[in-house]
Amino acid sequence: MARVVVLGIGNVLNSDDGLGPYVARTMQASFDLDGDVEVLDAGTPGMDLLSLLHGAEAAVFVDAVRDAGAPGDVRRYDRENLLQASTRAAMSPHEPGLREALLSLQFRGGGPADVCLWGAIPENLELGTELSGPVRGAIPRLVEGVLAELRRLGIGARPLATPRDPDIWWERRAAP
Amino acid sequence: MSQRITIDPVTRIEGHLRIDVEVEGGKVAKAWSSGTMWRGIENILVGRDPREAWVFAQRICGVCTTVHGIASVRAVENALDLEIPLNAQLIRNLIVIAHALHDHIVHFYQLSALDWVDVVSALKADPVKAASIAQSLSDWPGNSVQEMRSVQGRLKDFVGKGQLGIFTNGYWGHPAMRLPPEVNLLAVAHYLQALDYQRRALQAVAILGSKTPNIQNLAVGGVANAVNLDAASTLNMNRLFEVKSRLEEATRFVQQVYFPDVCAIGGMYADWFKYGAGVRNYMAVPEFPTDAKATKFDAPGGVILNGDLANVKPIADWKDPFFGKNVTEDITRAYYDGSWDKHPYDETTDPKFNAWDPAKKYSWVKAPRFEGRPMQVGPLAQVLVAYARGDALTQKWANRCLEVAGSVAKAKLGPAVLESTLGRIAARAIRAAVISDLAMKHWGLLAENVGKGDTAVYNEPKFPTGTIKGYGVHEAPRGVLSHWVVIENGKLKNYQAVVPSTWNAGPRDGKDQMGPYEASLVGNPVAVPEKPLEALRTIHSFDPCLACAIHAHDAEGKEIAKVKVL
Repeated sequence: MARVVVLGIGNVLNSDDGLGPYVARTMQASFDLDGDVEVLDAGTPGMDLLSLLHGAEAAVFVDAVRDAGAPGDVRRYDRENLLQASTRAAMSPHEPGLREALLSLQFRGGGPADVCLWGAIPENLELGTELSGPVRGAIPRLVEGVLAELRRLGIGARPLATPRDPDIWWERRAAP
Repeated sequence: MSQRITIDPVTRIEGHLRIDVEVEGGKVAKAWSSGTMWRGIENILVGRDPREAWVFAQRICGVCTTVHGIASVRAVENALDLEIPLNAQLIRNLIVIAHALHDHIVHFYQLSALDWVDVVSALKADPVKAASIAQSLSDWPGNSVQEMRSVQGRLKDFVGKGQLGIFTNGYWGHPAMRLPPEVNLLAVAHYLQALDYQRRALQAVAILGSKTPNIQNLAVGGVANAVNLDAASTLNMNRLFEVKSRLEEATRFVQQVYFPDVCAIGGMYADWFKYGAGVRNYMAVPEFPTDAKATKFDAPGGVILNGDLANVKPIADWKDPFFGKNVTEDITRAYYDGSWDKHPYDETTDPKFNAWDPAKKYSWVKAPRFEGRPMQVGPLAQVLVAYARGDALTQKWANRCLEVAGSVAKAKLGPAVLESTLGRIAARAIRAAVISDLAMKHWGLLAENVGKGDTAVYNEPKFPTGTIKGYGVHEAPRGVLSHWVVIENGKLKNYQAVVPSTWNAGPRDGKDQMGPYEASLVGNPVAVPEKPLEALRTIHSFDPCLACAIHAHDAEGKEIAKVKVL
């Protein structure tokens, strides 16, 4: 397992909740990363998070987040924010899985010490396969945010000379 | 005086569950189970290529991804009458096996054990005594005195810092918690070990499926794993043996830790074999085919009515019309337009919400019925059907479980006690043990077939003009899963998923018959209405894939408590 994992979290069939997978796939298609790092569209992993975090020293999550603000506003949370027992209202729709995985690892020991989450406030989490305008507009800032975390963790990123189109399969329309 | 307790959504976006119970004289008098979120993801699939449906289907639910992929490809293959190669069946079986082992281990230790195990009480345990109890259950290496001491030390550190972290929401000290401190300590030690072993099972899924939580190796017509024992990027000898090691590790944990723990703890809570039977009609579909044509299965399917094991009716295979013709979904009490009971091929999914009304419509979940009856699905149904049909492996593990639990409880226990809250938890451990035995068998079948030089993994699907229909079944960790497809000129015209938690968590129907969650809660004791631990035990015993929380109300509808359930 890589020393650093970047996990895009969310259900791609719930509109803006597809943000995390979208960002993960955009990064995979756009950058060459140096060092021991893995970028994954993790979907809605639940307890699978324990496996995805196993052996990682640092984890950067990307997700849609529930917080005060306007759709598309970008937020960063650190490990303490994510673990706070008092934040009973979920910050992210997947918060139970994420928080519980971190708490389980905290008790067990051996989880990543360096954890943060970059997210944007969604406009629409209804059934659907497309991001709203404001959330789509937040993607460059989220990518920038993740790259800044990677730089902080000593991981270099070079833009690919010829970036690929990210594979956003859920946005493809049914053929006519 | 009656008090009403409500179980309401927490946060998981995949679907929320709300349970309302009215408590009278320390017991549940009435219960309603409601899905509070519309899924309707089927509508996204209409018009799409049936070959890519499984990729979308895997994202239907955030908790059980793999199982929907499996049911989806089987549905399209069933519509095409397309046989898949033996290797493909076996690779899918191994994925199903590894996923189920992971899922069952997590359910017991991480999602339900703390309804029965008092973590705080473990602080008072004598580690030497805890180790000696653990060693009397099995010769698992993780049962040493050092291990118990180290876990207790870690727990002391944790509690000493003034926060319980992952254990914050438990009902520590609740009168319904009855295990001695030493048993609580060994359970906490195994809780921690389970975190590692569930991961090993999942690694086997990841090797075979390229990735979790959403596997990538499925295809209508087989699997996309190139098989070549000597080539680096394929399913080669090295990877096959890695799968074997992971399955062996998970098997050891199931047989030496999970299964003995459930039997012993079950024996200490034997009165819970009396509560929570609920709907006593059971259904399981055949799983783990051992031939390419899927005519022989290692886990039999069938239907049991009113707990009458002697008259189990077989579901012979994946094409048996006894299953295919008799499934309907009833929306009389669900938030959909109309009031009907229809076969999945003929269903529509037109949402029409009204305020929650227990006398009328009160759930987003439809009510699936078999020959018009509610059915309980899941490991208990599967164990009872297999037991009744004479499956030797199931009888071996079920009898062993009843024997151990009986010797702890000092009572003679027969398979009938499994029809209960505790029985559902025991049946899951029995099923896990059965599947762990099948793990090595199916790995051997695959290795043998590949060793013979058979590397076929895929038969190309060809779609006819005109309309075809089919369904794919899968006996998933939470029970019978079926996907139903109508394909017109190679495009999906209708798609319906009838999922295990729909069978179990569904509402009443046009005949006012309760669903299994609802029926199982009636008569359930609730000692402290503000802390309805006993209701949680019964709901958790079904392994709900929907997150929910409990609100307690009095007869005037005033809320007296709100409790989170995961």
